[in-house]
This record gives sequence, structure tokens and C-alpha cells, in this order.
Amino acid sequence: MKTNLWRFLVVCVVLALTAPSLIGCQPQPETTTEAPQVQPTEAPAAEPTLAGAEPPTEPEPVTLHVGTTYIWDTANPTFGWYNYNLRNLIYDTLIEWGDIDTFEPDLAESWTVSDDGLVWTFKIREGVTFHDGTPCTAEEIAWSLNWTIENEIETFSFYLANFAEVVALDPTTLQVTLSDPVGNMESALLLFTWILPPSVWDGMSYDEIMEFEGVAAGIGTGPYKLVEWVEGEYLILEAFEDYWRGRPAIDRVVYREFATDDVMIQALLAGDIDVIDMVPGPGVQSLESADTVEVLIMDSLFIDELIINSHENGTQPASLNDPQVRLAMEYAFDRGQIITLGYLGYGEPATTVLPTSMGDWHNSDIKPILFDPVEGNRILDEAGYLDTDRDGIREDGEGNPMEYRLYATDSASNARILEVISDGLSQIGISAPPTVMNEDSLIGLYPDFDFDLIYWGWGLDPDPDFAMFIFTCDQREEGGWNDSGYCNEDFERMYEEQAVTVDQEERRELIWEMQQKLFDDRPYLVSTYYDNIQAYRSDRFTGFGLGCGDILWKWCFLQGSPIE
Amino acid sequence: MQRRDYLIRKIFFAFITLIVVAFFNFLLFRILPGDPVRLIIHSPRMTREAQERIRTNFGLDKPVWFDGERLHEGDVIGAFDSQFTAYVRNLLRGDLGISFAHRQDVSTLLAERAWRTVVLLLGGDLLAVVLGMTAGLIGAWRRGTRLDLAILLWGLFSWALPTFFLGIILLILARGRLPVGGMVTAGLKPEAGLTYWLDVGKHLILPTITLAVVYTGEYILIMRSSAMEVLSEDYILTAKAKGLSTFRILRDHALKNAMLPMVTMIALTLGYTVGGAIQVETVFSWPGLGRLMYEAVQKRDYPVLQGSFLLLAISVIAANLLADLLYSALDPRVKAE
Repeated sequence: MKTNLWRFLVVCVVLALTAPSLIGCQPQPETTTEAPQVQPTEAPAAEPTLAGAEPPTEPEPVTLHVGTTYIWDTANPTFGWYNYNLRNLIYDTLIEWGDIDTFEPDLAESWTVSDDGLVWTFKIREGVTFHDGTPCTAEEIAWSLNWTIENEIETFSFYLANFAEVVALDPTTLQVTLSDPVGNMESALLLFTWILPPSVWDGMSYDEIMEFEGVAAGIGTGPYKLVEWVEGEYLILEAFEDYWRGRPAIDRVVYREFATDDVMIQALLAGDIDVIDMVPGPGVQSLESADTVEVLIMDSLFIDELIINSHENGTQPASLNDPQVRLAMEYAFDRGQIITLGYLGYGEPATTVLPTSMGDWHNSDIKPILFDPVEGNRILDEAGYLDTDRDGIREDGEGNPMEYRLYATDSASNARILEVISDGLSQIGISAPPTVMNEDSLIGLYPDFDFDLIYWGWGLDPDPDFAMFIFTCDQREEGGWNDSGYCNEDFERMYEEQAVTVDQEERRELIWEMQQKLFDDRPYLVSTYYDNIQAYRSDRFTGFGLGCGDILWKWCFLQGSPIE
Repeated sequence: MQRRDYLIRKIFFAFITLIVVAFFNFLLFRILPGDPVRLIIHSPRMTREAQERIRTNFGLDKPVWFDGERLHEGDVIGAFDSQFTAYVRNLLRGDLGISFAHRQDVSTLLAERAWRTVVLLLGGDLLAVVLGMTAGLIGAWRRGTRLDLAILLWGLFSWALPTFFLGIILLILARGRLPVGGMVTAGLKPEAGLTYWLDVGKHLILPTITLAVVYTGEYILIMRSSAMEVLSEDYILTAKAKGLSTFRILRDHALKNAMLPMVTMIALTLGYTVGGAIQVETVFSWPGLGRLMYEAVQKRDYPVLQGSFLLLAISVIAANLLADLLYSALDPRVKAE
């Protein structure tokens, strides 16, 4: 018995020694000869549409690999919130968002609007088909918009709130009748409303829509069709032969998911991937020193801000509602330091809620308030907040110390940013010890507005409506967008007015006034308009448009091509 | 007879442990703050009705233990229609539930991820065992020499080496020669046969080396100290005096007796292997159990957490049981106990 066991152990040991070395060593000589991976042999059997083309004559498809830390949570466009740029390669809209502040004809070739601003008539492009071969005429588009409204599709139905009637007059004419005039029909409402095929979605109940998953959920009219998605690993897109602009120059786009940024950067340097959709600040230097990589530091529609709880039933201390306290906090808010430490310099100090990349919408009359704790202290002294018990923290009139809760989601850069904020406030006698927590714990504070200060951010629409919408009273309901609890009658009135102001100059004036209002009331101290940093292999690809702030955005991506 | 009693006792205790684990499994995740429904709903704009519907679908509308009011009214069966009884009932049926986040059967999900983790870790584990044991034994035999010092230093170094650090360094060194992370080239399927497996093998090289290096330290140190103790025994001197070769002394006398602490060590490591090595999986973007659990914690995915912790518990308990059994085979004294 004992000797048998001993033999068994020896056999195990021998096996253990040889087995990994078989796996481990065999491919090694091969790897020294050729760097790139052997492309999978395209599995023509699995793809009926490719079956006609015989592999030997077919040139190797041009594949662009995108590295990302998260692909998406679902292929279903009706409730998926991640990676708009990826979905935008699959679906089309009536009007397309091009460079940051421009819009272009997409499925609609041209359009006219009646004098009262209520009836919009779109001329629809001919010869457009969905990836499954079914036609996409004004009929299908009308169906898609109506279906979106009827089913209250989460991701984009709220853009269509004013749509009273959508009808196809003939296959190339679509007519939309509005209940009220809309100030941003072209620049907001239609940019995100994807046209989905009735051949897939018609006849489903709400629950069926919500549960629909799989490749068919990725059928649209866009330049790429969804071929495969393996959760947590990769996603494959393939050029759509019948795309109305013509087949795209890059044959395949593969998204690969990486668990860490550092490894993703190594993968780009190694040539395993060709594009990184969001380069973290610390990675920029090592990528810039590589001559095969082009780093793009682009203006974006991202803002980060310190949210000050402004809800009248919130749990914040009364002193935080005092405009003078908020003004003093603005003087103690060191934007320069926040950008240096939190964004490694890749951002610009902010003033209003609308970033400078929005062009004319940004109120450039508002001048930044520079870091000046002396002035901050003076304001608080004057307003009667004094440190009566000499513990370094001021008290309000009733003797309550000015101690605020300061939260953010748990990332390394947020931890640094909170330190800067906390340090600045302590210089004017306000105590705000930083706490980081995970995102859902933070979201959990919202129903009761149970916080004082939160550092967070937004990715905005190119049209200012959305950025203003998040400060409206109704949005404070659970599930709404209003995260500061701000609610103001004047602001509300201006919001409603700009929404129906068709004259864009008049609308701009209103938007400027609203920014001034927010700047004075300070539900947010906007810290920075930070850059979107992307990087790609410039030895393999070229020509991507740079105006979108994102080279993976359809308008800019389609301009790119492989280097032969 | 004694041996059979020993076995039965061990198996009985393993079973009890498992029941306790299953109970705590349920309790543990419900103490966590955070509402899973908030994470299932992807949209902040979802209506209350829709949220309620999701709650009902996943059984989260039921009380956690029992409904006190209904119990008071005498409706005993209705009162115990709770999350806990549903959990026990499903567990007995072998049904681990449906993942909140993946909307997939947990057993399928676990099976899929578990084999990937085993593929990832087994090679490195076994390599570490063999190298660690050999080096430890040589160190003990050559005690005090430069070779021993080198082995000892290496043991301490590799034991202290952070996994993610070594992983990233290896990635940088192998850049351009080996794939950076992932398990297989996108789009390649097992149907491709040898091409697929060679591709997986290529992706395995770096994680295997990382694990082997990081785990050897532990084995070297334990093997060395345990072998050193054995080698100072009189019977080794006797063996030498009999004129046995060094190899035979080491194999037949030293290794065998020094094996006891190693068996525990190896069994435990293998047990934990199933739980995945989060760090290795993270560095190499390997879609294994470790990452699944990490994501499940973030998303409050109770069914996945319960399932994977149960799997982890089973494998650790099984490995311990195996160690106990091997002990009784290796060491006659254990039986007499």
C-alpha cells in the first residue's frame, strides 16, 4: 500500500513536470518568428453570407482592435447605457452628430419645417437596408419612432416627448407633427434616436423587449453589423456590405476587454490592439514616447463638478444653503491643483456647466473665480461664521460647526481630488473629511438627498438642453437626473422658454442667462472640462476625423483607413 | 476498523462544515449595504412599477427569513415563503438560481468560468509544487552552502513578490512575442481544434510562469525547513552509514517524511485554486472565477456570490478531506489516533 502510494505520487510529480512544460514550451519557438497573432481562419461555415467568397482569393480582412475596460452590459439597445460610440457604429439616426457642435444628414437627406415650427418634413434616403436585408424606408422609420414612443424605450424615448404624430407620407417622406415647437430638433432630439428594424422588434411585449438579447438585437442600418459578443472578453463587428455610404474601409472592428488600464497600454505598445478608447492620464507619457502610437488629446463634452446639496428637504446643514458660504467655498476650490493632481493636467479650469467645447453655447462672460482662501475667509467672517471655540472650524449663528460630508466614487484620482478639496475648505475653516465609496452606495444616498458634497461628473449632449434639464425640479424624483436637488422658479421658467425657442440666437441668450443663474446659485462648483485622451497605432491606421472628440464616433471613425 | 471510523468521522465533519457554510453564505451577502435592484436596472429613469416587476422576478420582494405578521395570523406556510426557504429549496434541488447581472443560470456560468480558472492555474500550481519541493530538498541537503543560500533567497524573494507586479513586468518583457492578456484570440472557437488550443496555450504561458514563480517561494521555504528537520534525524545518518546513494536517501527517507506538511500545503493551494486568483486573472484579463466573483460583489449579484462561495467552500473542504486521507495513508500514527 505504502509503496503504491509513493509510486502514485512520483507519477503525479512527473506528470506535473511534463504537462505544463508541454503547454508552456511548445509555442515558444514559433513566437519568436512572427509577432502578430495568426488570424482565426474566418470560419466561413458559420457565416452564410461569406460562404460564396472562397478563402484563397480573399485577402486578409483589415481588422482594427479596440481596447476598452468595459464593452457593454447588453446587446439590447433599448436599455443599454454603455459605449454609445460602439452602438453608433451599428445603428443610424435621422440626423447624425458629426463634429462636436455640428450635425449632419444621416437617414434623412434633408428636411423642412413649417412656419409655426410644428410640422417637420424629412426627405428620407433611398436604398437603405437593415443588416438583415429588410428595407428601411420612411415607413420603417415611422414605425421605429412610434414604437419607441409607445414602449417608452428607456434609452431615448424622452427625447421624443413632444412628438404628437409620426407618419410616412410615402417611402421617402416622413412627417413629424409636434405638440409644441422644439428649440433643438436637429441638435438633440434626433441625434440619439436609433432607427430599429420592425422585422426584429415588432410584436414584442414590453417584457420581451427588455429581455431580448443576442446578435439580432444588434441589427440596424449602420456601417457595421454585430457578429459576436462574448461577455467580459470581446465583441466583433463586421463591415456591412450594403451600407448606404458604401462599405467601410476597415473590414472588422474587434473590441477587447481588459481588466486594467496598465495592461491595455502594454497591449497598444505591443500592437495587440490598435486603439484605446480612453487613456488614463498616467499612461499618456509612455504612449507618447512610442513612435508607432499617436496620442490624441481632444476637447470633450465631459465635466466634473462638486455637487452641493441644494434640496430644501435634504439632510445638509443649514449653513450650506447660504449663498455667502457657497461663494466662500468657490474661493477655497483650487481648480488648478485639482486638474494637476486629478487629471495630470489634461483639463481646463471650468466656470459654467457648459464646457467651452460647446462653442457659442458656453457663456464666456462668466469669469473664473481664482483660488483665494484669504478672500474666502473674509466673506465668512463678514457673514458671521466665526470660530468661537477656537478649534479651527467655524460655527454658524447657532453654534453648529461647519462640518460637511464629502463623498466621491472610489477611484485613485478621486481620492487625490477629494484631498485637494478638503484641504482647500480647511483653509477657510470648513471641515470636510473625504470619504470614497462605491457607486451604488453613492447612488443609494439620492432618494433622501442624504449628503452634503459629492464630487462627480457628466458626459453632456452637444445641445445645451440636457445640461440644463438636469437642474429642473421634476428631475428630483427618484430615477431622475437632478443630482443636486436644485429647484428654482426663474430657472424653470427660462428652461421651458428655451425649449420652445426656435430662433437659435434668442435661445443662446436664454442659455447664457441660465448659466449665470446656476453660477450664482452654485448647486455645482464645476471643476474642469477635461480632455478625452485616445491613442491609436499610427503605423497601421490613418485619417480618423479629430473633430468629434472621439475617433471611434461613427462620423470620425469612417474617415479612417488602414495603411497598406 | 479504526481506519473506517476515522474516514467516517472526517466525512461527517466535512458535511457539517458544508451546511454551516451554505447557511452563512446566504446571510453574509444580505448584510452587505446596497440594493441589487438598483444595479439590475440599468437606467436611472426606470419607473417604480418596472422596478417592482424586477424585484418580483428575482424573488426580492419576499421577506429575507419569514414574514412575522403572517406568522402571527397563523399562516405558517405563507409566512415562511421567504428568500431563505427558496434558497434552501433550490439548493437541495441543485439549482443555484439565475444571475442578476448576467441573466443566466448560475451553475452554467460557474461551470464555464471554473474550467477556465482551472486551466489557468493548474499548470502554474503544479510547476510550483515540483520546483519548490525539489529546490527546498536540495537546499536542506546542501544546508549552509552558497547553493542553499541562493535557494533560500530565491524562496524569500518570490514569496514576497507581488503577483500583479511580476505579471506586468513579464507582459512588458514578452511584448510583441506573446499575446497581452485574454484567453483566446477574438473569434476563435474550440471547433477550430488544434489551432484553438495552441492559441490558448500561447495565452497561458505568461500567467503560468507568474504563478509558478510566485507560488514556489512558499513551497521552497516549507520543504526546506521540514526536510532539514528530517535530515538531522539519526536514521538518515544510519542510511548514510549503510552506504546508500544521496538520491536514495533523499527520495526514500528524507522526502517521504518531509512530505507531511507539504501535503497540507498542496491540498490547500489546490482547494483555493478553484476560487481563482483574482490578481492573475486581472492582470491577464482572464475571464475566470476570480473576476466573476469580484464583479459579482460590485454588482450585489447574490446568486453568483452564493454559488461561487459554495463552490469555493466545497473545493476547500474536499481538498482538506483529501489531505486528511493522504495523511492517514502517509503517516501510520494518524490512524492510531
